[in-house]
Amino acid sequence: MIKNWIGFKTLVKREVLRFFVVFTQTIVPPLISSALFIFVFGFSIGRNLNLRVEGVTYLQFLIPGLVMMHLIEGSYTNTSSSLFMLRWHNIIQELLLSPLSYFEMVLGLLIGGVARGLLVAGGVYGVSLFFTRFIFFNPLIVLYYFVVVTVIFSCLGLLVGLWAEGFEKLSVWGTFVLTPLIYFGGVFHSLEMVPAPLRIVTKLNPIFYLVNGLRYGMLGVSDVNVAFSMILAALMAVGLFLIVERLFRKGYKLRN
Amino acid sequence: MSAISIRKLVKVYGALRAVDGIDLEVAEGDFVGFLGPNGAGKTTTIHSITGLCNFQGGSMRVFGLDVVSDYRKTRPLIGLCPQEFNFDPFLSIHGLLVYQAGYFGIPKSVAAKKADELLGYFRLSEKRNVDFRKLSGGMKKRLLLCRALVHDPKILILDEPTAGADVELKYQIWNFLEDLNKKGKTIFLTTHYMEEAERLSRKIVIIHKGRILHHGDKEALVRDQSLEKKYLELTREKADD
Repeated sequence: MIKNWIGFKTLVKREVLRFFVVFTQTIVPPLISSALFIFVFGFSIGRNLNLRVEGVTYLQFLIPGLVMMHLIEGSYTNTSSSLFMLRWHNIIQELLLSPLSYFEMVLGLLIGGVARGLLVAGGVYGVSLFFTRFIFFNPLIVLYYFVVVTVIFSCLGLLVGLWAEGFEKLSVWGTFVLTPLIYFGGVFHSLEMVPAPLRIVTKLNPIFYLVNGLRYGMLGVSDVNVAFSMILAALMAVGLFLIVERLFRKGYKLRN
Repeated sequence: MSAISIRKLVKVYGALRAVDGIDLEVAEGDFVGFLGPNGAGKTTTIHSITGLCNFQGGSMRVFGLDVVSDYRKTRPLIGLCPQEFNFDPFLSIHGLLVYQAGYFGIPKSVAAKKADELLGYFRLSEKRNVDFRKLSGGMKKRLLLCRALVHDPKILILDEPTAGADVELKYQIWNFLEDLNKKGKTIFLTTHYMEEAERLSRKIVIIHKGRILHHGDKEALVRDQSLEKKYLELTREKADD
């Protein structure tokens, strides 16, 4: 599938370099905000209220949710902003003029998002170790969600990066769609903690299945069927990748 | 075999036929001046050849290879020097050339050497570690040329390469292009400067309202009058139609 290996590696390097160069904007802020979330909600409030959810402390319950939140935000933000800026400054021409295939272009851009998502989420988990420690219930499931979720949201980021024609449109999806879905997706609460009508809405939220899948891998607790969650995640990843690759091939908002 | 072969190319933007069924052959090693008023279809034609825009009709071949189905083979054969300064702000100018070569599958050691060579020729070596925003307009022009040539394409397509350049830079670019052409590179030059086309090109193509008005030897075209007069005559006639 990849024929132009040097070109592909060059693009991956460029994408990773891009977020490393501005690490104070891309890596550090999520670590700080996570540390604050963990301290305020998990460590202070959760401990003082002696809150337990599904047999684990609230602090432990919270950590997979926060890790998932940053897997999503890191990967999504990276690819959406990278592709949008490539288009905005017309630097995308450098790629379009090259013999990189559309598959290689999409995969190269996507790996940048995966790398940032993994780095930030790994950092958030690292921060959590200052507050609590636990052994992963199933590290392979954790790894699965780390990879598949970053692929899904890197692809979504690429879709928005293609679609957006200005900075306002670029932020619309993140602000009005992704953030509410994340916050109502079980990052901070289990199904039993919300009123009954909201449970139905929560169950329609795909992020809820991803959060719970990761929570199962990390803690062994989940509100959903994990096999269903894993299949759903894989289908979303493959489906979105195929859509993005098709749009690149057609030149949607890339070629006049 | 032709370096570039265009058959019945059609490009439509809404109701506007920007390129209206043009045919064009560019022989290998030729130096073609591609002239026309603003909005005539020059940049659209260039973008169609290089894969920067989709087109609705016709076909294009580069050294016999279809630019759509064989794009992975045609793109390394072409170097494009665009009008705008679309450089990656995350890279130094040396890094920018090395990365660009990398996209073409050129190993870093080879690309770095080629980048040094080009930056040296265009007197940009001192600036190799700065980003492009710290360059003057003329330096950016030269950097565009470096980038177009870093993968050593067989065809160089230039979109207004000397627009806004000072006299010294203009002559440096002209001399460079003449040298390149003598070494066998096919050059396809879009320009508004008749003097430039007259000095450099062997063939002249004039496009207006998406149609080719003239395609032939420069010498034959300018035998009786200057290129500028001939150009104005052709494009005015067409405007009167």
